[in-house]
Amino acid sequence: MKIVLDRPRCEGHGLCEEAAPELMHLDDDGELVLDREEIGDAEVPLASAAVRVCPVAALRLA
Amino acid sequence: MTDSAPVSDLDLFDDTVLVDPYPSYATLRDLGGVVRLPANDVYALTRYDVIRNALGDWESFSSAGAIGFNPMVNEALTGTSLSSDPPVHTQLRATLTANLSPRALRGLKAGIDAKADALVGELVDRGSFEAIDALARAFPLEVVADLIGFTGHVRDNMLRWGQAAMQVIGPMNRRTAESFPIAGELYGWCSGVTAEDLAPGSVGRGIFEAEARGDIPPDTAGHIIHQYLGAGVDTTIAAIGNVVALFAAHPGQLALVRENPSLVPAALNEVLRYWAPLHAWGRRTTRDVEIDGVVVPAGAQVAILFGAGNRDPRHYENPEAFLVERNPVDHLSFGYGPHGCAGQGLARLEAHAVIEALARRVRRLVVGPEVRVPSNVTRSIEELPVLEVVPV
Ligand code: HEM
Ligand code: SF4
Repeated sequence: MKIVLDRPRCEGHGLCEEAAPELMHLDDDGELVLDREEIGDAEVPLASAAVRVCPVAALRLA
Repeated sequence: MTDSAPVSDLDLFDDTVLVDPYPSYATLRDLGGVVRLPANDVYALTRYDVIRNALGDWESFSSAGAIGFNPMVNEALTGTSLSSDPPVHTQLRATLTANLSPRALRGLKAGIDAKADALVGELVDRGSFEAIDALARAFPLEVVADLIGFTGHVRDNMLRWGQAAMQVIGPMNRRTAESFPIAGELYGWCSGVTAEDLAPGSVGRGIFEAEARGDIPPDTAGHIIHQYLGAGVDTTIAAIGNVVALFAAHPGQLALVRENPSLVPAALNEVLRYWAPLHAWGRRTTRDVEIDGVVVPAGAQVAILFGAGNRDPRHYENPEAFLVERNPVDHLSFGYGPHGCAGQGLARLEAHAVIEALARRVRRLVVGPEVRVPSNVTRSIEELPVLEVVPV
C-alpha cells in the first residue's frame, strides 16, 4: 500500500508524526516529509493510525 | 431497507439542556446515530462515527448557509470560510491558516509559555482567585490581543464580542436576539479596521500587509480578523476554564501530568473530549443521505453534537471517566476534515502552556461550586472560585 499526502491541505499539525514517527516527520521548516510512502502489511496499522489522527484529513492510504 | 429517523421532543437550546447536555446526549445517542428534533427543526447527529463521517463528507453535508441555526446569522456569515464549501473554501482557508498553522506559530511558543507561567505563578502566590476571570479569560484575551495587535477599546470589547459572535449561531431565541447588536459591533469594527489600528509587527498588521501586496484578495483582511475573534476567543476561554475545573475535581489526574509532563497534550485532548466547548454546529444535506439505515432528506438542517460523539461508548471505552492517559487524539471538539479548526495550533499552544504551568506549580486546587449560565453554542463555566491552592 501507499501513503498519499494531500500537500495543499496539510497544515503541519504534526499529529501524524506522533502516531507514526517511523513513517513521517516534520522537517526544520515544519513541512511534512513522508519517509516511507510504499508500506508493507506490517506497517498498515501504524499508517492507518497516522491517517486517522490528521485533523484536516490530509492523509490517506491507497 | 430504510426507515425514517427516530424522533425526540428534546429542545437542544433549552436552558437546562445547555447547562448540562450530557444526559440528553446519552438519550439521543441511544435513540439513534441521527435523531429528528421537531422542536428545533433539525436532524441531530449523535454518535461518533456518524459525526466524523459527516464532517469529512462536505459534498453531502454542506456548510453553505447552514452552520448557524437562524437565517440571519447564516446570511451574515456568507462568504466566510466557515460557511463555504470547496473549492471556494479551500482558497479562503489558505489565507486564514497562513498565520495560524503550527509552522507560522512556532516563534510564539516561548512567549506564550512565559506568559502562562507568570500568570499562574502570580495566582498561586495569591492563594485564592476566581479562575474564569483571572485565568481562563485573562490569558487567551491577552494572547490573542497581542497576536493580532489589538489596542485600546478593542481589547476591552474582545470578550463581549467573542461571546456574542458564538451566541448568535443559535436559534432565534432571546439570547440570540440580545447578542445580535453586540455581534454587529464586532462586524462593524472589523469592516472598518485599518493597518494603523493594529500594533506594528503584529500578525494583524501582517494580514493587512499581505492584502496590500496582493497576496490575499482586496478587503479580506478585516474578515480574517473577524473570524479569529469570532471563532477563537470564546472557545479557548471555555477550554481553559474546563482545564482548571477538571483538574480541581480530579487531583489524581493532575498528579499524573506532574509526574510525567509528556502527558500535557494527552491531558488537553481528554479535557476537550470530556467537555466539548461547542455544543451544536450546523450543516445542510445536499441529497438524501442514508445513515445507519435511516434517511435524512435533502435540504435538511443538521445539528452536529460534538460532545455527544465524544462520549459515545461505541468509540471510547468507559467514556464517562476523565482519564488523561487515554489520550483521545481523535476527539471531535475541533471538528474534523476540511473545516477542522483552523486555530487548533494556537488553542493547543495556549492550553498546553496553562496545563504545564498548573502541573508544575499546583498540587491541588480547592474550589467552590462552579456557576454555569445557559449559552446557545459555547458551553463554558461562568464562575469558578478557587478557595485554596495547595502548591507543589
Ligand atoms: C479550544 C478552542 C477551540 C475549539 C474547541 C474550536 C472549535 C472549532 C470547531 C469545532 C470548528 C469546526 C467548525 C465546522 O466544522 O464548521 C472550528 C473552526 C474554526 N476555528 Fe476553531 N476552535 C477553537 C479555537 C480556535 C482559535 C484559537 C481560532 C483562531 C484564532 C479558531 C479559528 C477557527 C476558524 C477560523 C475556523 C473555521 C475553519 C474553516 O471553516 O475552515 N478556533 N473551530
Ligand atoms: S497531521 Fe495532517 S496536517 Fe498535520 S502534519 Fe500530518 S498530514 Fe499534515
